[in-house]
Amino acid sequence: MQRCYQLFVRQDFEECLTLIEDLSGTISVPSDFLLCIKGLIYRQQGEVQQSLQLFQQAAALNPNSHDATKQVARTLHLLARYQEAIETYEEVEAALPADWEVLHHKGLCYASLGDHSKATDVWLRAISIQPRDATQVELIKSYMQLGNTREALQTGVDALEVSPENGELLSLIGMLYMQKGEVYRAFDLLGSALALCPRDTRTILAAGSIMQDHSDYDVALMKYRVAAVHAPNSPQLWNNIGMCLLGQQKYVAAISCLKKALYLGPFEWMISHNLGIVHLCTQQFASAFHYFSASINLNPVHAHSYMYMGMALAKLDDFENACHAYDKAVQLGGDMLIHLNYAVTLYTHDEHDAARQHALQVEELFKTHPESPQCSESRILQHRERLAVLLAPDSL
Amino acid sequence: MEASPQANAVPAGLDPVWLANSYLTRRKFDECITLCTDLLRANPYDQAVWYIKTRALTLQDWIDDIEVEEEGVAEVLLDEHAVAKAPRPGTSLARPMTGAKGAGGGPSAAVRPMTSSGRPLTGFARPGTSARPGTSARPGTSSVEAAFGGGRPGTSRPVTSGGRFVRLGTASLNSDGSGVFINVDKLDLRKYAGRPQLARALCNYILYHEHNPKKAMELCAHATVSCNYKDWWWKAQLGKCYYQLGLLRDAEKQFLSSLKTCDIVTTSLELAKVYIRLDQPNTALEVYTQAAARHPGEVSLLLGAARVYDALNETVKGVELYKQVLQYDASNVEAIACLASFHFYTDQPEIALRFYRRLLQMGVKNAEVYNNLGLCCFYASQYDMALDCFEKAFQLADDTGMADVWYNIGQIAIGIGDLGLAYQAFKVAVSMDSSHAEALTNLGVLESRKGNLAAARSHYQAAQRAAEHAYEPWYNAALLAMREGNLEDSFKLVNKALAAFPDHTDSQELHAQLLKQFAAL
Repeated sequence: MQRCYQLFVRQDFEECLTLIEDLSGTISVPSDFLLCIKGLIYRQQGEVQQSLQLFQQAAALNPNSHDATKQVARTLHLLARYQEAIETYEEVEAALPADWEVLHHKGLCYASLGDHSKATDVWLRAISIQPRDATQVELIKSYMQLGNTREALQTGVDALEVSPENGELLSLIGMLYMQKGEVYRAFDLLGSALALCPRDTRTILAAGSIMQDHSDYDVALMKYRVAAVHAPNSPQLWNNIGMCLLGQQKYVAAISCLKKALYLGPFEWMISHNLGIVHLCTQQFASAFHYFSASINLNPVHAHSYMYMGMALAKLDDFENACHAYDKAVQLGGDMLIHLNYAVTLYTHDEHDAARQHALQVEELFKTHPESPQCSESRILQHRERLAVLLAPDSL
Repeated sequence: MEASPQANAVPAGLDPVWLANSYLTRRKFDECITLCTDLLRANPYDQAVWYIKTRALTLQDWIDDIEVEEEGVAEVLLDEHAVAKAPRPGTSLARPMTGAKGAGGGPSAAVRPMTSSGRPLTGFARPGTSARPGTSARPGTSSVEAAFGGGRPGTSRPVTSGGRFVRLGTASLNSDGSGVFINVDKLDLRKYAGRPQLARALCNYILYHEHNPKKAMELCAHATVSCNYKDWWWKAQLGKCYYQLGLLRDAEKQFLSSLKTCDIVTTSLELAKVYIRLDQPNTALEVYTQAAARHPGEVSLLLGAARVYDALNETVKGVELYKQVLQYDASNVEAIACLASFHFYTDQPEIALRFYRRLLQMGVKNAEVYNNLGLCCFYASQYDMALDCFEKAFQLADDTGMADVWYNIGQIAIGIGDLGLAYQAFKVAVSMDSSHAEALTNLGVLESRKGNLAAARSHYQAAQRAAEHAYEPWYNAALLAMREGNLEDSFKLVNKALAAFPDHTDSQELHAQLLKQFAAL
């Protein structure tokens, strides 16, 4: 029996199975331990249905062994029979009220059923028994599903106190901070996550995008180079590389990277959107228009796509449709940039009154949202001033 | 006699034998044969007429067997020529993906579609390269059913490679109408072996018209003896007979000996063919390169080597050779097409566009070229041209090509974000070719985006049945099963995906995730 266990732990499954066969021939009553080991081996080899039968046999042989029952529940979970799994876990829970494992897996079942609030309740109890990382990570994800970022962050910070060197946890919380807009803390956490597991593609992408936002293109590209070895066919990665190159004003390289990204991920509207922007930069307005229209087809609620499309159309001398595009953008949520660009376009086509209206909107937004990052962007300020000067004589 | 009246009418004052010879040189074989038949009826022992008729019959059925290389079901299933059962990485045509990583440098399977034998699609369809299932080749393709299937899903392969020849032969004999011309079994081959000119004509006749390599081999054996093993031609013919009989090692010996006597390009090509059949691509490459050094500017040798590189998945080396070929022969269709597809799949659609345009200028006008031109135009952002090209492709396409054109229309529809059009295009493609695996997979993806998971699954399953070698349907189905919580099926499916494309990172990730789930207590 001991030998059998050793072989299992060494993952020497073939030999272990033959040994179990030999052993079950020698003993008269089947052993629940051997059945469990056999079940585990089958499960690891992907034969989940078979392993369920073995565990059920083992549980029937020794009803007092909660290990076998737990495995039955776990296997039911793997077979997507969540309700049965929860019932089985509840049986075990009645006998072992303070078992972290049971609660953790029960929570997983609830989460798989889509009942995140119940899952968080169960996990909170599990954590109060034993604060394990796995539960914490699941809890954070569940909070994020519920849209409760504050609780998620709180859990994350608590979890980090217990295990400060868990790369998965670090990168998860880093991304949470990124969503909240606390870029520096996010970068700190992602940096330490990268120090722990330097080849995790998702962390690299997140950290790289922060560097990119701060115009630190060379370092970001260095990071992406590491990621490219491990995930050479990731559209998101190529998209980010393309945008890095755009930041360095290498337009041709940017276009070819983005095209590669689009080839690999044709459903990603963001890539089409970015390609459109690059084509705008290279003054190829017709191509830009096509990419924006593709992007809008895939994601019709992104206001900036319509704005850029309007810019492309205006450059192509289709002023009427450009206005339609701008109107749509404003309707979907006109921020300062959209109004500013609309005003500029209107002004260049001698629609001074309408331009003034949008310029006023811009001023309004400046007053109401002085903290938004767009208010400090130098080019926006520049255009705003110029517009004010140009439109001023007419207003007199 | 049912012969046509024009052929019978020999103008007055003209020697009919001279006329027959003239017909032969002008490649008017039917007239030549009827004339000769008449002459032979009058005088059955006229050797000149006999010779002319033999030549005419041979040339009528002549095929360039240096190019044709398609293995029949029998060869595939009973293939015992492989030197090693488990060949070392990079030394076998059956396992093209095992070469040193980065040595080939070509695009990976994620970018360039694969054929059923696990190597990238080449730009030029030629017999034999598109599929080589092999008995020990790859898991999943080793079944008998797979061996019966041809290169593309839905096609089938001949039972034996001899089978194709035999069928050609019987058809031509029937049209002849006068029964058997030479009864080979009754000939005294030893007598003919003494007369070199007649014997050569006879040998070709037996090989190409009668398709009886065994008899031809006998003749060759007698003839080589009678010229003291000095004649390269007879040795090469002997090699050819052995090759057709499947005695590859003997064929190799004969070709080598023939090359020693006289260095001829054709013999080198046939020798390389023997090595390819023996699954020794590196030796074949050696033969090609050495012969190419002795015969500079010989395009067929370079092309042969390039094909082997393609088959070994060392695309970059192949591309270099194709470029050399174009230096010697600027209108070589195969080289242009292969270079074009290489550039297309390495993100240079503009350059590919130029190659395809060159093909068009040379007069290669078919649906495939227009289809590829359309794709290049689309990826090079020339939208107006792209649609025109596809319209032309539709005009020229036949039933098999049409499905591919519709499939590409669907791809473009996805490119411009018009998923409704894409869905319809893929549907049409599937309706034309119910085993179009790529279209089926994409339909599955579109259905799963819409949330119709059951429909998506059935599309994936159909795609899996149609093309076991493609990793996409397996991976997508695995992802679907994973999302539905069916981890057991997902695990099995992702294993299949990894068998088809071991370097697929997403599959690897899914596999690792599943293993973690299974191992968790």
